[in-house]
Amino acid sequence: MRVVIVPGALALLPAYRGLVDPVADLRKVCEEAVAWLLEDGARTVEVLGDERIAGALLQGAEIGAPGDALLVVANGSARRSTTSPGYLDERSLPYDEQVESALARGDLATLRSLDPTLGDDLLCANIAGLVELGARFSTCSSSELRYADDPYGVRYWVVCLTCES
Amino acid sequence: MTLKLGRHEFPDDATLMMAIVNRTPDSFYDKGATWAEDRAFDRVAQVVDEGAEIVDIGGVKAGYGETVDPDEEKRRVVGFVARVRAAYPELVVSVDTWRSEVAHAVCSEGADLINDAWGGHDPKLAEVAAAHDAALVVTHTGGLPPRTDPHRIEYDDVVADVIATVVAQAERAVAIGVDRRSVVIDPAHDFGKNTFHSLEVTRRLGEMTATGWPVLVSLSNKDFVGETLDRPVGERLLGTLATTAISALAGAQIFRVHEVAETRQVVDMACSIAGRRPPARAIRGLA
Repeated sequence: MRVVIVPGALALLPAYRGLVDPVADLRKVCEEAVAWLLEDGARTVEVLGDERIAGALLQGAEIGAPGDALLVVANGSARRSTTSPGYLDERSLPYDEQVESALARGDLATLRSLDPTLGDDLLCANIAGLVELGARFSTCSSSELRYADDPYGVRYWVVCLTCES
Repeated sequence: MTLKLGRHEFPDDATLMMAIVNRTPDSFYDKGATWAEDRAFDRVAQVVDEGAEIVDIGGVKAGYGETVDPDEEKRRVVGFVARVRAAYPELVVSVDTWRSEVAHAVCSEGADLINDAWGGHDPKLAEVAAAHDAALVVTHTGGLPPRTDPHRIEYDDVVADVIATVVAQAERAVAIGVDRRSVVIDPAHDFGKNTFHSLEVTRRLGEMTATGWPVLVSLSNKDFVGETLDRPVGERLLGTLATTAISALAGAQIFRVHEVAETRQVVDMACSIAGRRPPARAIRGLA
């Protein structure tokens, strides 16, 4: 099954759109990843996380469970630096590195072992969704980290995975 | 409805900066700073750089002063209109005149808009606008002849008088042949009005925008601002901008101004507060 992970940045929502898009690069990568998610003919997409963001990116594809594809809305810490929304928590960088490395490699075992409580402390979004992703499948036959950056002090990832039970 | 100003069209919710460019030796604010043609042309370049969509070129001081006959007015503005038209094809060129003879001459050189600041004093002005497919600003002056000040004018209801007068002029212009998308109404602050009248017109400007005609306001550094704040010419920018914000909130669309950049910021801010314009770039709390 195809799986895509996108961040829960509210700036992706149409309601918060300005004249200039502050997340234009991120949005483009998200849209391309969602296009990949759907290009295999998926009709229903299961969403783990903020369905508003999922809905904005899926643009009309049906959201429901069980689905033919999975979209996880999750992101890393918002406490990565003194200019981050949640100020600096030094545990953020190693935590994000652990998650990012697991996503890049399709390492489901590490995702399963993530500590969601620490993730909440670090103002991550929906680490529980990544844990569930890790638990739901046994292997990933492909993984591609298409975006990894923190332009506003929050770690964003866009990841395309192909996972098997 | 689209706003059509001569050869230029704008969405119906556009806000436009109309920069004042005086070809006069004696206008109240700039006191002849752009009397020389090259200085006036430099002023056009400056306001275009600041984002003005419209320039309003005037050859006669609004208030009392030296007589300027139609030939002299034409000498001041016609060639200048042609020069601006040629240099800035994307710019809306407006001419502030009450004379149909002058309007005809400037429209023949490509003026897009006639700003009839003296409220239909010359009834043939609308015919000229229609003949040239130009836009027309119609104004309320309380019946005063051009270049005169109000003296003890009173109204039962100044806003009702303004609306009745300008809407009648607007409908008349359309009946004569001016495109309905090309008529703009202006309450004309200070013209035929004491300060209390201009304040009331501002306070109740929403009644004017509710008519559906696009509303122009000309507030810049005027006496009602000066009297309200007890400030001389030259110290009226803050009062002007406060009035601008109120007017933009009420839905005014065209702002005839001396200070383009400052007014643009105030209008954008007010329109965003009103929910008619998104913020330029919003990430605070949304990352």
